[in-house]
Amino acid sequence: MKEKAFITLTNGFKDKLFRLAKRLLVSNEEAEDATQEVLLKLWKNKGKMSEYKNVEAFAMTMTKNYCYDKLKAKETGNLKIVHSNYKDERPSLQRQVEAKDSLDWVGKILNGLPEQQRMIIQLRDIEQYDNAEIAEMLGINETAVRVALSRGRKKIREELLKKHNYGVV
Amino acid sequence: MELSNIEKLLEKYFEGETTISEEKELKVYFTGETVPSHLERYKDLFQFFSAESHITATRDIDIPVQKTNWYKWVGVAASVAIIAGLFFTKTPTQPEELGTYEDPEIALQETKKILNMVSQLMNEGKKDLVYLNEFETAKQNLVYLNEFENTTNKLIK
Repeated sequence: MKEKAFITLTNGFKDKLFRLAKRLLVSNEEAEDATQEVLLKLWKNKGKMSEYKNVEAFAMTMTKNYCYDKLKAKETGNLKIVHSNYKDERPSLQRQVEAKDSLDWVGKILNGLPEQQRMIIQLRDIEQYDNAEIAEMLGINETAVRVALSRGRKKIREELLKKHNYGVV
Repeated sequence: MELSNIEKLLEKYFEGETTISEEKELKVYFTGETVPSHLERYKDLFQFFSAESHITATRDIDIPVQKTNWYKWVGVAASVAIIAGLFFTKTPTQPEELGTYEDPEIALQETKKILNMVSQLMNEGKKDLVYLNEFETAKQNLVYLNEFENTTNKLIK
């Protein structure tokens, strides 16, 4: 495959890779690095490209795996303090300030979800892949996708309600 | 779209049972102007989804084009050419002309000529050595020093 053909092919989903990586890694720079890394790997294996049924889905899976590795490396590299038995019910001052930008607030809620739900909402609600495609990308079955999607959405609704009612109730 | 319809769709949405096209309808509805107050809170959600789908990387992400390959091969070719060049230009050296004569008579004459020339040059060089005799005569004069030696010996006695 020629370089030009490769670039036109990957340009179609490059941004989707970036957004998925950003959803998982949060940091812009890290997401850019991840996208670059995935594209480079694809390029190096361009000989096998014709064997893949769906290059885009394959690239998404690669991105997911890459981000998981990064997250795992981070977790082992840092000590984490986990408050499992204590939760501040009131939104902190910082949160209240941030809540002013309500779209940011949705992003915050979304990024607080478990990785899988976060990823599925990203793929479904933002990138508009159908459940079958998502199932293929993540290597799980369609029912699991639907369940995780529903749970994630409900969680977001719950958090949004809390925010909406804050100051009213 | 009817409000009841939207509410139904929302319910389906949270169960994860809407189709992609139904979700698109919801997005269109909630990004519009007229949203009743009790559904206001979902506006953020769907607007967020639409906004997020347009985010792109700020840095240009491209595959590093491997142009270095070309230079590498030029380097290899050049070094091969240089080595080959060194190898082939070094032609086997001819045994140098030693000035051998076939006829012994001529050889003898030539040898004599050369030896003659050598002795002549030698004599010429030896001429300059005459001055060394001066050194000899000067040394003769130093004999008188012995007298001095003798007298000092006597004094010690």
